[in-house]
Amino acid sequence: MKTMNFVISFLKYSLSFVIVLGLWEAYARYGGLNELFLPRPSKIGDKLYNLFFKFEIIEQGTIYWHFFATLAQMSIGFCYGIIIGNTLAIIAAFNETFRRYIAPYAVVFNVTPGIAVLPLIIAWFGFGWESKIALATLVCFFPPFINTLTGLLKKNDEAIELFQTIGATHSQYFWKQQLPNALPEIFAGLKLAITTALLGTIVAQFGSATEGVGILMQRFAFRLDMAGSFASLVTMAIMGLLVFTIAEVLDRRIVFWRDTKGLERVSRKKQRKLSSND
Amino acid sequence: MAATAKKKAKNSSFGQTVIDGKNVTKIFGETVTALEGADFNIRAGEFISLVGPSGCGKSTLLRLVAGLIEKTSGDLTVNNEVVTKPRTDIGMMFQKAVLLDWRTAIENVLLPSEIQHRITQDDKNKAMASLDLVGLKGFEFHFPKQLSGGMQQRVALARLIQTGANIMLMDEPFGALDEFTRERLNIELERIVGELKATTLFVTHNIQEAIFLADRVLVMTPRPGRIAKIIDVEFDRPRDISIQTSRDFNIIVEEVRDTLGGH
Repeated sequence: MKTMNFVISFLKYSLSFVIVLGLWEAYARYGGLNELFLPRPSKIGDKLYNLFFKFEIIEQGTIYWHFFATLAQMSIGFCYGIIIGNTLAIIAAFNETFRRYIAPYAVVFNVTPGIAVLPLIIAWFGFGWESKIALATLVCFFPPFINTLTGLLKKNDEAIELFQTIGATHSQYFWKQQLPNALPEIFAGLKLAITTALLGTIVAQFGSATEGVGILMQRFAFRLDMAGSFASLVTMAIMGLLVFTIAEVLDRRIVFWRDTKGLERVSRKKQRKLSSND
Repeated sequence: MAATAKKKAKNSSFGQTVIDGKNVTKIFGETVTALEGADFNIRAGEFISLVGPSGCGKSTLLRLVAGLIEKTSGDLTVNNEVVTKPRTDIGMMFQKAVLLDWRTAIENVLLPSEIQHRITQDDKNKAMASLDLVGLKGFEFHFPKQLSGGMQQRVALARLIQTGANIMLMDEPFGALDEFTRERLNIELERIVGELKATTLFVTHNIQEAIFLADRVLVMTPRPGRIAKIIDVEFDRPRDISIQTSRDFNIIVEEVRDTLGGH
């Protein structure tokens, strides 16, 4: 029954997608669209096919090379970003002076459009991978910072009293209550960071690059190859979906206690584990 | 067990003093007197209810005994030691169950053991027994969000039992539950505390509940918070819920009301 429902809703979504594409295609063929602005779906499809299955070379590499270069730059930037963001959040959570006098700079940093710093970043880090990683880090550290801080500061007086009465140390309270209690917020921060890291990477590639999906987009657009530009856009969307799905799955796995399904799954698993031990 | 069950709530039947307070005063900030000149003396195995309206200092008194807050003046000892910080022979239960959502019932019950040392098979057996005692056999692997409010408080009680503390402090533990659940839990609490022979301080604003459970009721009045009267409750244990309609019971209810009514 469940799989049946899934199949039906999948078909409904597919159908609406096909209808939208069909109307677009038909309108373009009828001549209603200037294809220098908006290419028809079949041309974008052709281009994607060439890029992904005929291994067309652009800028000394296949689409896979550009894809993985971007993914790597983004991932490194993302890692730096969450390390910096979470470290600052933990320091701010435990040190009120830091929270009061240093944290406001992080907020100012955040309201400054991060991508506007690109020329500076290039001046500092050059034209290589470093500048892409740096911009990704810069634009993505703030969501983990503010979310983790909020999560760690969640008011929980009774839990503090409970841990005091059972003789817990500060570090036991942190590891067993405060940190797990903040995990929903921490993961919300990571999910925001992962998409902004992708944004930062691609924008940095516009500035100067020899590889990456951003540079593909730029080269195609400069040549007025609209199908190519849109194919690059689709590739970026695929990448965004991919990384976001990974974050979402991790979130569901680790912060399982947010929804009933997760609770039931883990509850069953723990029960099975016990009966197999006997 | 039968001996405890039969015991009469006569003062002489309890052990020596475990909690001793003389002229205990707590002032918050400069001006807010939460508790003024409280004298109390609680013996081993006694069940004491603290009853009164909000602001009468009953929670403050409980937290002073727990070592969670410091008194402003007076003397307060537990087992002849001055209270300076929380101690592991005192366990506490709160109005909220305060369970960790990411831990199953049994993992929550094991928390106090885990804080003290590495979990052993003995701890696990004890936790199973504690859950059994509070009537949660079969729910060991349920998460707090899969349990009702009453069942969550049962887990909290099992966790308190797991600490092995022989002094139990309860701050309106059933205050957020519906009347039926509260009544059932009162009956079970009476049974469990009797079995454990623990000394209990139970804070509530429900007069019936306070009398039903207690050997002595400390009636407290607000502004400033003080102990207005201490009333002995001498019903046989285990008690049946029907005593609540008895004449003797209602005389005590009246006495508590009169004491509170003047304020």
